[in-house]
Parts: sequence; structure tokens; C-alpha cells
Amino acid sequence: MTAFVTVDQVDKVFPLPGGNEYIALSGINLEVKQGEFISLIGHSGCGKSTLLNMIAGLDMPTDGIVLLDGQHVKRPGPDKMVVFQNYSLLPWMSVRENIALAVDEVMSGVPRSERDQIVQHHIEMVGLQPHADKPPAMLSGGQKQRVAIARALAIRPKLLLLDEPFGALDALTRGNLQEQLMQICEENHVTSVMVTHDVDEALLLSDRVVMLTNGPGSKIGQVMEVNLPRPRKRLEVVNHPSYYSMRSEIIYFLNQQKRIKQLRARKKSAIARHGLEKINLEIGFVPLTACAPLAVAKEKGFFAHHGLEEVNLVRESSWRGIQDGIAGGYLDAAQMPAGMPVWLTIGGMDNKPLPVVSALTLTRNGNAITLDKNFYNQGIHTLNDLKRMLLETSDRQHTFGMVHPASMHNLLLRYWLAAGGIHPDKDVTLTTIPPAQMIANLKAGNIDGFCVGEPWNVRAAVEEIGYTIATDLEIFPGHPGKVLGVREDWAITYPNTHIALVKALLEACRYCMDEANHEEIREILSRREYLSTDLAYIHLGDPNPLVCDIHPSPKEYAHHLFYGQGVNRPSRTEHLWMMTQMARWGDTPFPRNWVEILERVCRVSVFSIAARELGLSDLTYSRGAIQLFDGVTFNTDDPIAYLNSLEIKHDIYMAEVALDTPLPRAS
Amino acid sequence: MVAKAGNRNAGMNFSGSMRSFWKKNGEDILLPLVGIVGFLVIWQFLSMVGLTKLPPPSSLLTDKNTRELLFYPFLDRGGLDKGLFWQTLESLKRVALGYSAAAIVGIGVGILVGTQPKVNKALDPLFQFLRMIAPLAWVPITLIALPNVQTAAIFVIFITAVWPILINTTVGVQQIPQDYKNVARVLQISPRKYFFKILIPSALPYIFTGLRIAIGLAWLAIIAAEIVMSGVVGIGFFIWSAYQNNYVSEVILAVIYIGAVGLLLDRLMAFLQRKILPPDMQG
Repeated sequence: MTAFVTVDQVDKVFPLPGGNEYIALSGINLEVKQGEFISLIGHSGCGKSTLLNMIAGLDMPTDGIVLLDGQHVKRPGPDKMVVFQNYSLLPWMSVRENIALAVDEVMSGVPRSERDQIVQHHIEMVGLQPHADKPPAMLSGGQKQRVAIARALAIRPKLLLLDEPFGALDALTRGNLQEQLMQICEENHVTSVMVTHDVDEALLLSDRVVMLTNGPGSKIGQVMEVNLPRPRKRLEVVNHPSYYSMRSEIIYFLNQQKRIKQLRARKKSAIARHGLEKINLEIGFVPLTACAPLAVAKEKGFFAHHGLEEVNLVRESSWRGIQDGIAGGYLDAAQMPAGMPVWLTIGGMDNKPLPVVSALTLTRNGNAITLDKNFYNQGIHTLNDLKRMLLETSDRQHTFGMVHPASMHNLLLRYWLAAGGIHPDKDVTLTTIPPAQMIANLKAGNIDGFCVGEPWNVRAAVEEIGYTIATDLEIFPGHPGKVLGVREDWAITYPNTHIALVKALLEACRYCMDEANHEEIREILSRREYLSTDLAYIHLGDPNPLVCDIHPSPKEYAHHLFYGQGVNRPSRTEHLWMMTQMARWGDTPFPRNWVEILERVCRVSVFSIAARELGLSDLTYSRGAIQLFDGVTFNTDDPIAYLNSLEIKHDIYMAEVALDTPLPRAS
Repeated sequence: MVAKAGNRNAGMNFSGSMRSFWKKNGEDILLPLVGIVGFLVIWQFLSMVGLTKLPPPSSLLTDKNTRELLFYPFLDRGGLDKGLFWQTLESLKRVALGYSAAAIVGIGVGILVGTQPKVNKALDPLFQFLRMIAPLAWVPITLIALPNVQTAAIFVIFITAVWPILINTTVGVQQIPQDYKNVARVLQISPRKYFFKILIPSALPYIFTGLRIAIGLAWLAIIAAEIVMSGVVGIGFFIWSAYQNNYVSEVILAVIYIGAVGLLLDRLMAFLQRKILPPDMQG
């Protein structure tokens, strides 16, 4: 079946006084199926009401067309009834007369008595019999909106359009009305499009949530399927395992829109100074203990020392923010999970390859796998215990949190589970949750465990809601944690700035490694602009004294490695290992041109120049082949054979990843 | 027994309710009275000491002719010699005719102008120009243009009263909330139904404001018109002839009539407005 409502390449331009134009919407494409409930969500002024009005025919698109049931929408009509935000009841008519006005007009062919019956039925449907003959002025806001809904439904529209229908109501009334509306829509199979700014409302009611970017020129930024089972209950949907992640996805989108607006407003052109092409940098980070080198470089003046005088550290709450910031070009550089440069380069994000390079590994280690405290009480102390438990409770869905598909946490967690014979996609569910929200999710019982960087594992242990079942020493000691990533075109446009940046951070890494500085660094990290958390949770060294009492055999915590032989130099071997892991889980294809990709991503030369200029040319890569806890050695010569040799994996697909020839960015 | 007790209770309740009524409204009644009495006392004093040639308020009773007029408003000796009630009634009749015409034309044209922006553009300057002309300035023109004094007087009322009605109706129609128009568009309501069910009720508060301003203006205008148009029965001409004969206290009495009738007319419109408009549309 074709779409019921089709919005095809719609633009809306408003003329402004003075001959200018305001582009409200551009290139909107949307298809709504029969019986579907769609929410339009976005910030004020993003044009969502304009879009709704164009579907209603109250407003005409400047370009493009809207089709309803194959018919070109040219004017409003009762087949696409609107429930307006401010009720739009006629104050000189009673409730009954308001509804009857619509029914009489639209169903003029139906006999009088039948029409009266329809009116009465719909008054009863929204429970307003006692108020049927009162004027709207005597009703509360919620009752008025119920009348508006009854009026809309009474004329049996093909399409119901709701413009922030519950915006002006108090929370309790809103909740009740939402459930009523949902029930009525389900019973009558009404196709609906609703404008809202309430995330929970959108999730509760919708089959799909359409998110609009900020204007001018708003577009559909993202469309999310809401696969919560129906019938839904307001108080129950929140307990659905995917509710929280969907909710945070929408909130992330909305926050991101706000941030982009701010960053657009702040965006300055490159300031060249001291022989560097750009000394004003926006560098993204996620508040984790591992952001220490960035914080130190800023606070201890390493950036300034190397000429980068105007560095602004942009705190992102999730890796997704870093990814979008780099892709959107409003971050110059960023602290990235180790796998992200390769992941972005081979098209992990929306299947669009985005060449990103890394010339410095910032940290190693510092991650761990935490499980819910309840498992500890059930005697699950090892991977085998976990597997046994999963087999015993196969009727239950177990969910684990990780921070980003390209992060080492995801790859380590999957590797660890797979090594224990647990398929990370079939036997359990993995869900993406920003690091800072892991604890809250574990506490709320949304997840059973997580793999994340410090300080969140220590914190779970200290708060006695979780325990560390494995640290990276037990999985992949000395694995790369976070790396410095910049877009390839950025690196080509600002080569000297790139070297200066690596130099500043490398010095900061060295500063972090010196134990004499640890107290000072912990204090810096605990500040508001960084982790904004209690000093007790931040450990650069061994937190064992704090957590061992809840563990049978004290786990040996891996120290964060910030600097040293084989720590900072980017390693092709490691990037290749991560590339194979991503392919192993079907996240990305394995690129046939993997050698080229590695050459492009891994900028050893930049690192070498930086190290030499700092007088640290003795920093080399001295690690041998990668061998993990399960004893499997990773063979860099034949990654495909390695992939084939793995037992637990997805279908692996190979593809040539075509990368553009690198060109300097036009400035 | 029971009935008696009931009666006693009722009696007590009555005096009790009087007391509570007085407590609630005492100030509202007492203070205006104090104002009026004070004003009259000062006037009386000024006249008695001879600061003004105006007769004192007591002359309404002391002057024989005036006393007659005051106590016998329904007197009719034929011709122009009629009691004040009849004089006022004649004036009111003229106002009623002129005002009704003004209301019909004002509301009708107002709706047309309000719904048709092009008509509005074409006529607005003309209206703004015409409404600036004082009622008295119309008198010579109407006397020349129209066959007799009666129609001329009514026309002056009409031309004075029509502008506030017309302009307020126009604004009322233009200000119909977009929401109501959207409802009408979505429901594809027929023009006739739109007119009666949405346009008129929605513009009604504005129309009433216009009507209320206009009734005051019409009453002002009739006095002015009658003063100039000699030889008609009416309170305006009554004042004029009293003045010519130097019956000043009669003028004062007529002025009190005029003020009282004006006040009554305004109250009447306010009452109608309250009765007709739904409670949440009364500005």
C-alpha cells in the first residue's frame, strides 16, 4: 500500500518586510501510513506547526506538494480535521452546539436525529455529558480540549491533525487526555499527525517521531520508530527496556540542535598566529577520567605554550556528540574512543565515509565491566558464572550498556562475552548510553551491567549498586582507550596546528603520568567544567582500597596509561584489530582496501614530527602482536583469515570503501 | 404558631438584611450623594452672593413657570407649548429613527469594509474625513439638501452616530481570531452560516462598543440640531426658546432632563450588552 499522506519536497518561505525572505522549511519529505500516529518534535520556531498547517491545507507550501490519499491538498477541509492548540471553540455556543456545528455542516446528508446521536455519542466519548449545555467559558482547559477532540472526531476525518493539543494543560489532565486520545485513535484507526514539544508525549502516542532541525531552513533531522507494544499505558511504557534509550535519543537530538545554534553563533574564522594556521580551536571531550590530558593541557598552559592560545574545551555528554561535532565541522578536534577514527572513515556513521585521522593515542586502559550488585549476590564472579546464569534465565532479556558502537568498551565487552561463549547480540542486548548515565540506568534496573571508562565503575562499586567483574587487565591489557581525532581535511588545511596540538597534548600526557601531579590532576578533573563529580571517584592510579571489600578476589585495576614507550604513538595494528572487531559484529563492512584506510587514519608522521620537536624521538612503538586473555593472537598480515577463524560473529561482509582524495578545506 | 414564628423571623430577617445591605453598599450611595449635595450647595452659595448671574438651583422650585414644568411634565396645551416629557419624547423619537438608520448602515457597511480589504482601502480615507465633521456643521447642508426640518434633524443624528458604529464594526470583523476562521475553513462552513454563527457573534462586542458610543453622540447631536432648527417640538428647541425668553431656570431644568435621559440611554445599552453577549466576551 502506498502512503496515506505524502509530503514531497516541501519548502516554505515567508516574505519578510523589507523584501527579504525567511526560509522556514526546506526539502521536507514525509510519508504517513494509514492508521499511523506521527509526532513532529523540535524547538520553538522550527516550523513544525507550519508543516502541520500545510498538511491541513491551511497554508500552502512555497514549493513541493502535499498529497492526502493521492489527492493534492490545496485547501483545508473536514477530511483533515485540526485540533488547535488553543481549542478554538466558539464561546457563544454550548459544548453541544460547538460539536453540532461541525457535524451539521459536514454531514448535512445525514438525517437530523442521526446527527444528534453522533453529537451525543462523542460528548459521551470524552465524558462531558454533565457539561454538554454549558458554554466553553465554564469548562476547564482539559475539558475544552476534550470538546475540541470530540468535535474533530465527530466528523470522522481521514486524518487528524493535532497542534500541541495538550500544551496548555497541567500534568495530570495531560496524562489522562493522552491516554484517552490514544484509546480513541486506536479504536477508530485514525491516522494522526501531532505537533508536540513533549518528548514523553511523543513516545507514548507515536508510531514514529519525526525530529525537525532548527530553522532557518528546517529539515527532518531524524525519524525514530517507536516500537513499544500497544496498547500502551502511560505509567507502563517507561518500564519498557528501550523506552529510556529512545527518550535520550530524542533529547540528545533536541539538545544538539540547541548546541549547534550556539556554536553557529560563536563560530569564528580561523585566527592565524605564531606561524600556526589556526590558534582558536574548539576541542570536544567527554567528562571521564581519561580526559585528563586535555584538561591538563588547558589548565597547565600546554596549549598556550605551543601557540594555541585560544583553545576552548567543549564538554559533550556523549560520544555521539563528539561524532556529530566532528562530522558537522563545529569541533576542530576531539578526544575520541579509540575505534572512532576508523569507524567514521569507513562509514560507520550513516554509511557515509568521513575520513578522520589520528596522530596520538591519549590514554590506555581505564575501563572495566560492571555488573548489577544482584548478580554478585547470586554468586556470579566470573565470565563462566555469567554464561551459566544466562542459560538458566534465557526467558529474560539481559541488557548491557556501552557508550558508542566505535568505542573500545563496546568492542571489549563483545569480545569478552564472545570469549565466554555468549553472543553479544543474540544472547543479550547491548544498548548505547552516555557514560554519565550508566549509573542511573543500572540503579533503575534498565540495564544489567555496562562497560565504561572510569570513574563510573569505581562509582558503581562505591555506591554499592554494582561490582567490577573484569577490568581491562584481564581482557586486553594496555589497550588504546582514547585517541585524538581530527577530520582529514582539517589536518591537511592546518598541518602545523595539528603538530602543535599533538605536541601540547603529548606534553600533557607526560605530565599526567607523573604520580607527583596526581593530586593536582584529580582536583582539576573534579571541577565543574570537567567531571563535576566527587574527588573520591576520580583515580588515576589504583582505586582498590575503595572497592576490594565487595569483591571476593580483589581485581587488579589497570592504571590509566597516559605516557610512555608504546603508549602514545598511533598504532596501525591496533586500528586494524578494531576494524576487524567492528566487522565481526556487522557494524561496518570490512574494507577490502584496509591497508589504504589504515595509512590514511594513522598519522604516524605527525606524531613523529611532534615527538622529535619535543626531543622525545625515543618514543617508539614497541608492542608486539596483540594477544588477548583468551589466548588468541591477532595476526596483522591476514585479518580476513583471522575473522574467518572466529566462532561467534555476525555475517561478515567485505566492501571497497571509496574515500575522496583529500583536499584542503576552503577557508 | 408556626406561621407567626415564620413571620417574626421574616421580619427580623428583613431588618437584618437591610442592615447588611446598608453595610455593603452604604458608601456607594452615601458618597455620590455627598458629592451632589455639595455641588448644589456651592452653586446656591455662588448665586446668592452674586458671583454668577445664573439662578441658584432652588429657583427650580421658586420660579413659578419652572415649578409648573417640573411638576406637570405631561401637560399639553397644543402647538409648541408642551410639557417636558413630550418635548423629550419628540427628541427621542428623532434619535430613535436616526440612530436605527445609523446602526443598520454602520453595521452593514462595517461588515463589508471589514471583510473586503480592498473596499476598506477605497473607503477608509473618506470615512476618516467625514467623521471629523462636527454634527452642527452638517446642519446647513442638510437643511439645503433635504425637504424638511424633520428629515434634516434625523439625518444629522444619523451622520453623527454612524461613524463609531461603522468603525467599530470594521475593527470587530477584522479582529475575528484566526482560530475561528481556521475552524470555519477546515469545516468548510457555508458563507451564510459563517456570517451568522461566527462573524456576527465574534464581532458583537465591538459592535456593541460602537453602538454605546454612538447613542451618546446621537443624543448630543439632537440637542445641537434642534437648537438650530427652529419650530419643532423637542427638548433642544425648548432650551433655545427658553433662553430667548430669558427663562434661565427652565434651561437648567431642561439640562437636567437631557443629562438624565443621556444617562438612561447609556445604561440601557449597557444592559442590552450584558444580556446579549456571553459572559466571557464582555470586555
